Amino acid sequence: MNKKPAAKTKVSVSLKKYPIETVRYAAHAVSCAARVFIRTAGRDTAVAEFEPTGRLPGAKIAAAFRAELADEALRASVYAANRELRDFMILKALSAQAAPPPRQDDSGLTPEQEKELDALIAQVESEIKQEAASGAASDPLGITRTWEDKYGAKKSRKKN
Amino acid sequence: MALKKAAKKTEPAGPPQLLWRRDGASCLVTNDFGQYAWLKKKDFDLLLAGRLGGKHPRYAALADKGFIRDRLDFDGLAAKWRSKNAFLNSGPGLHILVLTLRCNHKCLYCQSAAAGPGARDTDMSAATAKKCVDFAFQSPNPGITIEFQGGEPLLNWEALKAAVLHARGKAKKTGKNLSLALVSNFSLMTEEKAQFLMEQEVSICTSLDGPADLHNRNRVFCGGNSHAATVKWLKFFQARHARQVPEYRVFKPSALLTVSRYSLGRHKEIIDEYVKAGLEDVFVRPLAPIGYAKNLWGQIGYEAKDFADFYLKSLDYILKLNRRGVVIREKMAAMMLDKIVNARDPGYLDARCPCGAAIGQIAYNYNGDLYTCDEGRMVGWEGDDAFKIGNVRKDTYRKVLTSGAARACVLSSNLESQPDCARCAYKPYCGVCPVYNYEAQGSLWGDMATNDRCGLFKGIFGALFALLKKPGNETILKNWVGK
Repeated sequence: MNKKPAAKTKVSVSLKKYPIETVRYAAHAVSCAARVFIRTAGRDTAVAEFEPTGRLPGAKIAAAFRAELADEALRASVYAANRELRDFMILKALSAQAAPPPRQDDSGLTPEQEKELDALIAQVESEIKQEAASGAASDPLGITRTWEDKYGAKKSRKKN
Repeated sequence: MALKKAAKKTEPAGPPQLLWRRDGASCLVTNDFGQYAWLKKKDFDLLLAGRLGGKHPRYAALADKGFIRDRLDFDGLAAKWRSKNAFLNSGPGLHILVLTLRCNHKCLYCQSAAAGPGARDTDMSAATAKKCVDFAFQSPNPGITIEFQGGEPLLNWEALKAAVLHARGKAKKTGKNLSLALVSNFSLMTEEKAQFLMEQEVSICTSLDGPADLHNRNRVFCGGNSHAATVKWLKFFQARHARQVPEYRVFKPSALLTVSRYSLGRHKEIIDEYVKAGLEDVFVRPLAPIGYAKNLWGQIGYEAKDFADFYLKSLDYILKLNRRGVVIREKMAAMMLDKIVNARDPGYLDARCPCGAAIGQIAYNYNGDLYTCDEGRMVGWEGDDAFKIGNVRKDTYRKVLTSGAARACVLSSNLESQPDCARCAYKPYCGVCPVYNYEAQGSLWGDMATNDRCGLFKGIFGALFALLKKPGNETILKNWVGK
């Protein structure tokens, strides 16, 4: 015995509001619950018909289709607004060089030269200490003082 | 000098790149960088309108995740995308050597096209095994994993031994990082073989379907008790792992669970069996209608919703055990969480975009034929070589990787060209399987609106995101992938 096909539920969609691609995808999204037939009715209207294949009734499928229509329109706008940005970001990610391995500490000096350099630095440091101890730290020129300490806060040039 | 007065109200920045899934009064949003957030409907609308202002309590967090269009950290987000998709620059890392089709088990769901123990013509020769290893080392991937499978690979011990030693030599010569893995039912394991495997640092994986009655019902072993052999050797390797020696590393053994219709309703017993065996991971895997399982689907198969129910109950029970201090996690969830929480690629080839077929893995049949993956090889055994990509003796690496089947799999598993997937909030973490689509729906692309595998994955992602919403669960789940 042939099974009687389920009754179809019709939904009309304005093509002025939703492009046919949007209608097509929204219909596809509910195709797990129904056979879907889409046709145009005049220039500005599409009609989607749903023939349930499972337990979900036609009215619920139609409601899911309408919700999907609205979401699909949103998706289209999000996609259009971000297409170039996405391309840019993914290209940037793909073309970025992997982080180079951390550089070895290589000064280019031989061990003897490094020893000499260390000795020189130690000598300079000890000379600085000696100078500081002999009063050089008194800073007669005021080099270590801030501008404000030396000359006071900046006065406004504006006349009252 | 007074600051110049700010320009009049600026135009909204426009909607950010995002995908979403509505769930009652809230909305899950995700983006290309693998970031996600749960938003109330009102905030979701503000975000899409580009009007979620700087004073909004979620603004800073959403900006950090790349959801605020005029606050994108280009370098940081590009680095996240790159890390999430690092496999794109690597080449195949997993090389599955099918050492023999012979097997001494007759598992009800076998996908491996196993032959009887007498069919020696389905053994891989040691010379072919070495050729396969050489081929694997041609991959530009700095890390090579060679997995020995069957049939039962221990039935071809000589080829296994030859391949292991050859691979170790190649690794030394090339400086590549080599991992070796054996998938065995343990029925032919001996102390001598185990010793060799441990010395060569081969990790061991077996199948454990639950308590003895269930395991033995699924995994029919005419020569004895499959469950007893499995548990015995699991304990052996556990014990050796616990007392390491300085000469080599002994890996913790692992096991795979295949859920048949007989498993449904027995999730607690199964997980308890894993805990009893000292295992810290249970990989709850659904049956696929491939190989023997396809023929016996009426007896052992089930609908996607049955598996989803089983999976969710298992996850729930595992979390309960975790709260009691028991260390165990579900492997699939852990791999998905690694993507969701850490924006990292866990190396799960089945959920990649494009999928791992050929570009992430290659299956080497006993006769040297090469397939996109092990599932593709099984389709080949059924007489359809749609997924054959060459032969190890005849074809060059370049020819194999650019073969028609390899390219078709890459194209058809690119989620951007899958109408449902391109719009799905789970896209940043998911992947399709062209072999499954081909077997279950008759085309490489399939139709995700009616695809059971897609239904399964959606169920798993739905459960994970719902669990991550609850702070108590979130802490436990994040710990799973915290290392």
